[in-house]
Amino acid sequence: MADQQEANTLSSTFPNPPPFWKDFTPDKLARIEELKAAHTQQHGSDQAPTRIPDLPEELLNLQPPLEPADGRWRVFGDQYMLDDKLPTLEEQGIANLPSAAPTESKDVKHFDRALELKRLAKSLLLNFLELSGTLSRNPSHAEAKVQDLRTLFINFHHILNEYRPHQARESAIAMMQEHLDRTRTETMAIRTQVDKARRVLDGLGSLSVPEVPKPLGDADDEDWEAVALERESDAWAITDALFA
Amino acid sequence: MGDRLTQLQDAADQLAQQFVACLHYVHKRHDLETLGPNDKVRDVKQEQNQKEVDPLPADEFRAGMVELSRDLIIKEQQIEVLISSLPGLDNSEKDQERYIKELEDDLKIAEAQRQEAIKEKDQILAELDTVIRSIRRP
Repeated sequence: MADQQEANTLSSTFPNPPPFWKDFTPDKLARIEELKAAHTQQHGSDQAPTRIPDLPEELLNLQPPLEPADGRWRVFGDQYMLDDKLPTLEEQGIANLPSAAPTESKDVKHFDRALELKRLAKSLLLNFLELSGTLSRNPSHAEAKVQDLRTLFINFHHILNEYRPHQARESAIAMMQEHLDRTRTETMAIRTQVDKARRVLDGLGSLSVPEVPKPLGDADDEDWEAVALERESDAWAITDALFA
Repeated sequence: MGDRLTQLQDAADQLAQQFVACLHYVHKRHDLETLGPNDKVRDVKQEQNQKEVDPLPADEFRAGMVELSRDLIIKEQQIEVLISSLPGLDNSEKDQERYIKELEDDLKIAEAQRQEAIKEKDQILAELDTVIRSIRRP
């Protein structure tokens, strides 16, 4: 299957767009809009309809096709279901080993799952031991053991895939928690900055009052100092004269 | 490095590969033995690269087996560690839903507080601005 697909991709470049892309002219788009509006008015529903019955032939390609009736669709050579759910092991024809514990309630389920996985991992190892033993004694009996190993592996993967939605929720919780923490630290940082700025403002407010008359005081001080210097030098001059 | 589930699935796949590798090793690298004193190993003429077995010396072969078995056990233990560290093992679906609800509410509150703080910051900035503008050289 995979080989076949690979060959296809190797032999062809990108496929051409579907031929109806030429139908999407502005003129036709406007017409289908009109028709849709008319349809909405006639039937009086709030939402614009995705499909209108009885379209003229040339507008037929402008509306999406109906949902597939059997819920299956194909793209790139693979089948898909409309409701994309994990097929159960029984549907795939594989024995469901932990089915002995059916899912009674949501609470027990996840704890059991870890235990079940550990059991499976141990069984894998044991079965491999048995397989190698069987191979050494009677290789023709090994087929059954290989089947057992296969079942174990598939079960293992199946449980993990079942666990995925749980993990998705868990990651969502982690991300929300992280976002919450980040928002809180941001708020804190803003608050501290605001406080700091406010304190600076307050400081400025209390400083600016004595700052206004200061130049006058400064000038006085200088005068005083000059006078003091003069007096001192006078005193020194007198003492010099006395000692001379 | 994917999330833990992907790591676990990869580990399981690696374990399967190791199984195959072990079997291959034991199958190909052993030496031919005789069952009784009267048997002898037939000398089958074959191409050089198509030999039935490619024997290792006995002690090397044994050492190889020991190493491979140890690797198998280590891998299995890794898988168990990964299983134990799966996120939210003790949380049930209901717990998760409750957590998400709580976190949503908390987030709303925190966001509101943040907006408030930003508003306050803008206000203080404007105040500071006016103060700075009003300063003149005496």
